[in-house]
Amino acid sequence: MTALFFESLWGACLLGVKLTAIVVPLVVAFELLRYLPFFRRVGEGIDPLMRGMGLSRNAAVPLFTGIFLGIAYGAGIIIRVAREKNLSRREVFLVGLFLATCHAVIEDTLIFVVIGGDLWIMLGVRLLVAVVLTALLARLWRPEPAAG
Amino acid sequence: MTESAIPDIPTRLRDGLRGGLQTSLKLVKWVVPLYLVVDLLKHTPVLERMGALFAPLMGLFGLPGEAAFAFVAAFLLNLYAAIAILVPLELTPWQVTQCGLMMGLAHNLVVEGGVLGSTGARGGLLTLYRVLIAGACGLAMAGLHRLFAS
Repeated sequence: MTALFFESLWGACLLGVKLTAIVVPLVVAFELLRYLPFFRRVGEGIDPLMRGMGLSRNAAVPLFTGIFLGIAYGAGIIIRVAREKNLSRREVFLVGLFLATCHAVIEDTLIFVVIGGDLWIMLGVRLLVAVVLTALLARLWRPEPAAG
Repeated sequence: MTESAIPDIPTRLRDGLRGGLQTSLKLVKWVVPLYLVVDLLKHTPVLERMGALFAPLMGLFGLPGEAAFAFVAAFLLNLYAAIAILVPLELTPWQVTQCGLMMGLAHNLVVEGGVLGSTGARGGLLTLYRVLIAGACGLAMAGLHRLFAS
């Protein structure tokens, strides 16, 4: 019985170490690379896609924060941006829909990759579903004509 | 959008290390005890009996009944808890991918539903949507898998 317990404990600790060994270098790499001009160019390239999803430039910062860092950070920034830039209820909901589907993609996906999941399927399907459904809703829910 | 100053490399390294260790600590806190419990329960008939109850439902997604516990943990708690339960079940790589996709779509529903609601979007509606889309994607994936793997 004790042998079984220690065997399980060993397995548990091994999994903990394995996850740590993957997560730490990744977060470090993300912090080091995130300011590269390359990412700004990707941001610009993605502009048409954003417009296709009914989102303005103002929504880019909360959207990307949420995609990479998670919903709690994303939401904090949505609340601030919504107030400062006067985001419409429609746009806030569209960002919410996207982030509900697809957030913290690096961390969430990687912990499943560590235990044997397929990176491209998990990441690709989530991104695709988020983009398609947000774009679909943007078409169904037409913006109200801007007042003034 | 105002550009904030770009921190220098040592600051970024430090931020990265701190962030990474924080995430890992959070992970280990959930993973170690839950893995231990599930791995020990594997030696008793408890998991198998309760898993059998969920087998018909989980079977729709190409998963064993025991995976239901991981889904409960993912919905109510978080993905770390779910992983801790999944690993001792020794799933195939495809099944891990299936769980990763479905749980990636729908997890930590209580807390994140509240967070989504706080932005002014409809939190409850978005949470319901997450569960439904996870189910829909799971069914589609299982269907494709049956089609191509047999």
